[in-house]
Amino acid sequence: MPTAASWTELLRGQRRAVADVGHLLAFRAATVRRRSVTVGLVATFLGLTAGAAVLPAFATGAGSAEGYALDALLLLPSALTGFLVLAIVSAVASGGGRELLAREHAVAYPVSPTTDHLGALLLAPLNIAWLLQGWLLLGATAYAVEGRHLAAVQLGVLLWLAAATAVAQVVAWAIEAVRRTRHGIATVRTLGVLVAAVLVHLQLTGRTGAVLDALPTRRVVVGLQDGFGAAWLATVGLMLWVLLVALVLGAVPAHLAARRTPRDELRVESGTHPARALPSSVFAGLVRTDRGSVWRAVPMRRGMLVLAIGPGVVALAGDLSWSQMTILPGLVASGGALLFGINAWCLDERGGLWRESLPVPPGQVFAARTWVLTEFLLVASALTLVLAGLRAGVPSAPELTALLCTWVVVVLQVVSAAMRWSSRRPFSVDLRSARATPAPPAAMVGYSTKLAVATTLTSLVFSGLARLPSWELSIVLAAPFVLWSAVRLLHARDAWLEPVGRARVVTTVAA
Amino acid sequence: MTREREPVVAVQGLHVRFGEVEAVAGVDLAAYAGHSTALLGRNGAGKSTTMRVLAGVVPPTAGTVVVAGHDVRASPLEVKRRVGYCPDVGGLVPRATPWEHLQLSARLRRLDGWEERARDLLERFELGDVAHRVTTGFSHGMGRRLSVVLAALHEPEVLLLDEPFDGVDPIGVEATLDVVNDARSRGACVLVSTHLRELAIEACSAVLVLRGGARVATVTAGEMAGEEGARAYRGLLD
Repeated sequence: MPTAASWTELLRGQRRAVADVGHLLAFRAATVRRRSVTVGLVATFLGLTAGAAVLPAFATGAGSAEGYALDALLLLPSALTGFLVLAIVSAVASGGGRELLAREHAVAYPVSPTTDHLGALLLAPLNIAWLLQGWLLLGATAYAVEGRHLAAVQLGVLLWLAAATAVAQVVAWAIEAVRRTRHGIATVRTLGVLVAAVLVHLQLTGRTGAVLDALPTRRVVVGLQDGFGAAWLATVGLMLWVLLVALVLGAVPAHLAARRTPRDELRVESGTHPARALPSSVFAGLVRTDRGSVWRAVPMRRGMLVLAIGPGVVALAGDLSWSQMTILPGLVASGGALLFGINAWCLDERGGLWRESLPVPPGQVFAARTWVLTEFLLVASALTLVLAGLRAGVPSAPELTALLCTWVVVVLQVVSAAMRWSSRRPFSVDLRSARATPAPPAAMVGYSTKLAVATTLTSLVFSGLARLPSWELSIVLAAPFVLWSAVRLLHARDAWLEPVGRARVVTTVAA
Repeated sequence: MTREREPVVAVQGLHVRFGEVEAVAGVDLAAYAGHSTALLGRNGAGKSTTMRVLAGVVPPTAGTVVVAGHDVRASPLEVKRRVGYCPDVGGLVPRATPWEHLQLSARLRRLDGWEERARDLLERFELGDVAHRVTTGFSHGMGRRLSVVLAALHEPEVLLLDEPFDGVDPIGVEATLDVVNDARSRGACVLVSTHLRELAIEACSAVLVLRGGARVATVTAGEMAGEEGARAYRGLLD
């Protein structure tokens, strides 16, 4: 019968698509150059995850029915929802999620949109916002629940992370499918403004708390918190069902999106820019070219918007204090560097060879690229801080000093690390697609972890200093951080000035 | 030998190694002002790497390379000032427009009154209509043509064109041949790397054949012409 035949074919196609995920993963794994480093990074990632899921349970007051532990427990439903929102925003911003095989390389192969969907789902955790929020959620859960139920609850939370990511993927593909229709870009933007308007309305009318309390995630926490039992089984079963449905359902909008043209990328590719006056200096000319490469790229523009506004809105809704805000610049700067900074020379792509043939001292090229990365990170984090500070009142001198010092320190930390990595491990990438990343998945997770750990620890130090009466302490402590980052940045510059190393970088990114 | 006959590009015993791979294994080359020389050879023969060394983009591992009187290892910046280079791959910054490429080159080379020549070159290569469009959406041929324009803008002493005819339509080929002839007639030294024998003969007076990273022959363009030349060329490649 025709219907039976089509179902059989459909199933065969889906089985093949799932098998292809394995083939692409194997291909990816075979291209990993430094296996020992990768193994180390994966071990660190797993270690940090395990640490976040267990260690807070040993802190004083953990699992108590009162105090901070109770506060953490009451906030868990909101935190679960927050994670889902973050996963959606992240997947939407990256046009349906990251690619297991870059579009440029995949064109020659029959890669199904289902394979693409499943690959994007696997790569979703390789994102600093996802990682930090995931660890934070696991840590808060470990502190909030009773020790004897820890394993059961954390299993549930891990399942929630997976289910929320899969649901986010479905939403992201659906929005991408809409965005690729004739009036799709305007529709999606209008939708974004409406969602923001609803959130602002809820906040202004003081109903945010009531809405958060009514969220169904409360039932998830209630179902998990008493450990293994009937309620736990029902909750876990429900999450498993959601995960499986989302896994299958995501393929539908993924196929729809694949059949349509990515309009905003096409708009950028065919964009015209009227001639401007000749730049006033050589440095200005280099900066102008680099700025164009950053601000005209779809992934950078979308990423910047999400990075700058997302954490700021969350901080605004959560009414963060000035001392708590020290966590924000590091988060935003790290995320910004992961958009292109960790492979900064890839901005020139195949134009790298031509640019290298121009008569300009390499030191100026380095200075221009470093400046463009720095200003990108500064602008993004400044927007976040302005948003976050709207409800925080007037900061005290120690709070303000600590926040400004954190801002400078973490941006410098991120810039110096990114420029070092850019010279050490260049990659040839095409940043046209909203889904593109500046490095392969394994490298991205390594960089994400390193940046997240370094900037979070630094931010925590300054968060503590913001609570002390002396504002001078922050400046005194910031000085060695700044000095250390400056020295490392100079080392990165030296690596770029060395002709053989520079030729390796340029020929690699232009390949 | 008179000063006029001193080579503008002089390469002796050039070696370029990338880790274990030896991309160029002992190339000798002399190219003169007012002459165009073709570098012919199969894929991987070392043509592009040699061109990159001459452009000051890749430093030589061993050997002596002098371009317009400057050693590429000691004075790469001086070499870059005197060279116009069309790279083999892409050669364009993806999110910049052709005009912005020209502006950057003019700024870095301290050119005055370059706009008229730039417009003329863009028109000759039929790129005038897309002068302010980002190059990401350019076809391969359009990209190649713009790369030749960028290399020729400042009327360099040494013009290096690496695969300038690759994927280019007949009008683009003709415009490129005109650029080569113009450069030669004003006394520039031109080097054209290609695997297209017929176009190499048309564009150049001398032909240098590379194989396995080393020079195997230097002949006149006439010796490479016709059926006889094709057989000779095939013989040099095998």
